Amino acid sequence: MTVSATYDVLVIGGGHNGLTAAATLAKKGKSVCVIEKSEQLGGMAREVAHLLYNLHPKVVRELGLKGLADGKPLATVSLVEDGKHVEIAGDTVRFADGTTHPDAVAYVELTSRLKKFAALLGQLSSHSPPKLDGGLTSLATLGELAGLAKLGLNLKLLGKKDMNEFLRVILTNAYDLVLDEMPDGPLAGALCADAVRGNYVGPRSPGTVFNLMYRLGQGGEAYLPKGGMEAVVCAFESAARTAGAEVRTGQGVKRILVEDDKATGVELEDGTHIAARTVMASTGPQAVMQMAGVEHFDVEAARRIRNTRCKGTVAKLSLVLKDAPSIVGLSREQMRSRFLIAPSAAVVERSFNPAKYNELPAAPVIEAVILTPSDPDLAAKGQHILSLNVQHIPHTPEGGWDEAKRQQVIDTVVAQLEVYMPGVSASIERADLLTPADIEELTGAPGGHWHHAEMGVDQILTVRPVNGLAHYGFAVQGLYLCGASAHPGGDVTGLPGRNSAIQLLKDGVLS
Amino acid sequence: MNQLPTAVPIGVIPTPLQTRLEDLSTAKSWTNWAGFISPLVLDTVEFEYFAIRNQSTLFDISPMHKYRVTGPDALRVVNRMVTRDVSRMRDNRVGYALWCDEEGMVIDDGTVFRFSDSDFRICCQETMHSWILDTAWGFDVDIVDESHQVAGVSLQGPTTFSLLSDAGLTVAGALKPFDMAEVEPGLWISRTGFTGDLGYELWTSWDKIAELWDRLWAAGDHWGLRAIGYEALNICRIEAGFIAAGIDFQPVHTAMRLHRGRSPIELGFEKLVHFDKGHFNGRRALLKQKDAGPRHVLRKIDLAGFKPADGALLYYKKKKEVGHVTSGVWSPTTKRNIALAEFKAPYGYSITDDLWAEIYVFEEGVWDKRLVPVTFEDKPFFINDRSRATPPRPF
Repeated sequence: MTVSATYDVLVIGGGHNGLTAAATLAKKGKSVCVIEKSEQLGGMAREVAHLLYNLHPKVVRELGLKGLADGKPLATVSLVEDGKHVEIAGDTVRFADGTTHPDAVAYVELTSRLKKFAALLGQLSSHSPPKLDGGLTSLATLGELAGLAKLGLNLKLLGKKDMNEFLRVILTNAYDLVLDEMPDGPLAGALCADAVRGNYVGPRSPGTVFNLMYRLGQGGEAYLPKGGMEAVVCAFESAARTAGAEVRTGQGVKRILVEDDKATGVELEDGTHIAARTVMASTGPQAVMQMAGVEHFDVEAARRIRNTRCKGTVAKLSLVLKDAPSIVGLSREQMRSRFLIAPSAAVVERSFNPAKYNELPAAPVIEAVILTPSDPDLAAKGQHILSLNVQHIPHTPEGGWDEAKRQQVIDTVVAQLEVYMPGVSASIERADLLTPADIEELTGAPGGHWHHAEMGVDQILTVRPVNGLAHYGFAVQGLYLCGASAHPGGDVTGLPGRNSAIQLLKDGVLS
Repeated sequence: MNQLPTAVPIGVIPTPLQTRLEDLSTAKSWTNWAGFISPLVLDTVEFEYFAIRNQSTLFDISPMHKYRVTGPDALRVVNRMVTRDVSRMRDNRVGYALWCDEEGMVIDDGTVFRFSDSDFRICCQETMHSWILDTAWGFDVDIVDESHQVAGVSLQGPTTFSLLSDAGLTVAGALKPFDMAEVEPGLWISRTGFTGDLGYELWTSWDKIAELWDRLWAAGDHWGLRAIGYEALNICRIEAGFIAAGIDFQPVHTAMRLHRGRSPIELGFEKLVHFDKGHFNGRRALLKQKDAGPRHVLRKIDLAGFKPADGALLYYKKKKEVGHVTSGVWSPTTKRNIALAEFKAPYGYSITDDLWAEIYVFEEGVWDKRLVPVTFEDKPFFINDRSRATPPRPF
């Protein structure tokens, strides 16, 4: 059974990156159809993310996404048991009671340095990663070199001191970097928590400085958009639809059809064939390889793809509360912050330890935000929603997930919350937990990993997701990777989808 | 009394035929072939060479690595691995094949034995177990490393069919070149070899090979049977125009330096790269190279004079260095100074005139240098229709 229409582009997966790719191509007049397995669009952006940060301004501009990050960014409050919470609002760092924090200056100096470096690396994020395999005599390579030369020049223009510092820290670990500048405590803990978020690392793991820079790519401010992440997804969807892309939900793709080494369409799970001149996939690389058939991939590529590191480590917990939560020592206004339970860098490191052995953490690092003050419509009247990202929950704990283990995670988190929000446990009406395994099941993200593939030095830039396939084109002609596993990586940035669409056009596979 | 633990050999180890070879060896000249003790020469190179071309010879090929690929996807896996289309091979046929990495560079060459579309054996020089496992990932096949289970001898020479008949194996007469058959339970004969002459390879289990050797040996006296070493075989394989891994090309998995790998096209085997069979490893890279043209080209050349040119540098217009000889030898049968040589394209490819080899000779304490003209040969240097006649003519 074949649907008669032949699209220019089929996009597998209606996450924000799939929608961005679709919108970008539809705007160029290509006929595009997005196919999403679940009934709802948005994937991880809807199911897992609860804050918006790192959305790329080019994507905002090109897709005409308005009003998503226009409001005031959320302050971050790093909680401590003794009530001396630390509040970080942009470059203002102080104790929550308004008193001066001794490490405020060190914090600003460190983060502004990292932001400067992040902006430098950011130049590479809105293009395909550099490709030099054409040899120095190829015109295409010279173009790539020019881009790299610009990076080199900008690196030089940082000045000798900053350049040395950039090269010193780029591959190192967040723990050492942060503790070089300030004593351990809730401020250092907050930086380290942001340096490990979403990845299978502790702050002492190499590469976490890069992760921190990545997070600070657009300044690091987090927003709680009106209408929540649902509104963000809707904005992406509407950009795609307005541009003319078709969107089909509730239809899973069984196979990517390949003829003569070219992608020619897909077969849906119900057996329907849809023909297309190119196919883009925003799922993880393993899934794309298996949908297309491993026989179309070189042995080395298949080996690298199946060995990509993608151990998800974040669980999402959503608590419905019947009373407005309050935290000792915080004002009503301050309750509209992003809370971190990461009282020290050492605690963040220890939070990671059990995950290495597939054990559940006793004191995981938590990022929490109360969604209802900004958006009362999200819950029934009088109810409040506390959304939590619980770091360092293994994808599959020893012995597998069961009700008891799920409850153990909830109890652990609630017990931690109780320290700061006395009485919160009695207020819980519902607790919805998504383990990394659930997230994988729900969104197809490999390993339930936030970024579809760990953001490590072995899996970024020219080797993301794997060496040899870092330029969106995915082995078979006309098959493209457009999700978080492609350069530059995860978060709701829109960049992988956008860059992939641009690369597809540049490759001329539609002309 | 304390018992000494059994020592595990860490150097070269004997094949099951070492005891036979040891008794025959007067030269005591051994080499390490794929981890096994293997004779370079048993008696003298000359006697052994002429035995290959005029009598019958036995060479122990047990050190070859052998991998069995079985299962519903065996054909797909072998076709994924090698550049030629093994679906075009009939059952009970043997085919020469090369296989490449993702950049189209040759990993190794060898022979593919097709028992059926779900049962193959790959026979090659380099260890290939992990590579085949990687190739087979995602496919329904079993991979068994048979290297130490299957042993073999190569019986080569114009009298070999007569010898086999005397040994009770007349059935081998029905075998055309590259045919194979299980002639007795557990004994396979393939009409294959590395000499370009009439010859067979006989395969049986590791523990039965000595018995087979004795059986052939007992029938061989009348047919001039000699055991031979690698050196005599090497002359014959150059005469036949066969390439050798590690000599005429560097197996790319063992090459550490950039650009030391060579593609099947560059080695002269474009005809064995079947682009129309669907994807195989390195296909996209090879297609690109087919468009862009090879960087190097391996050719059979004929050199003036009689001094073997092994390792000689090659020049264009006697000035510009454009390549080197990879295997050079004086061919006693054809009476020609022959070689395999690698040229930097376009030399040897589109430019074939005015090419010279610089041969150094050391004569009684004096080094001399000779520039000799190079001409190209497209066919094997040694061709004799006895190698293809079926049934083989009795000697």
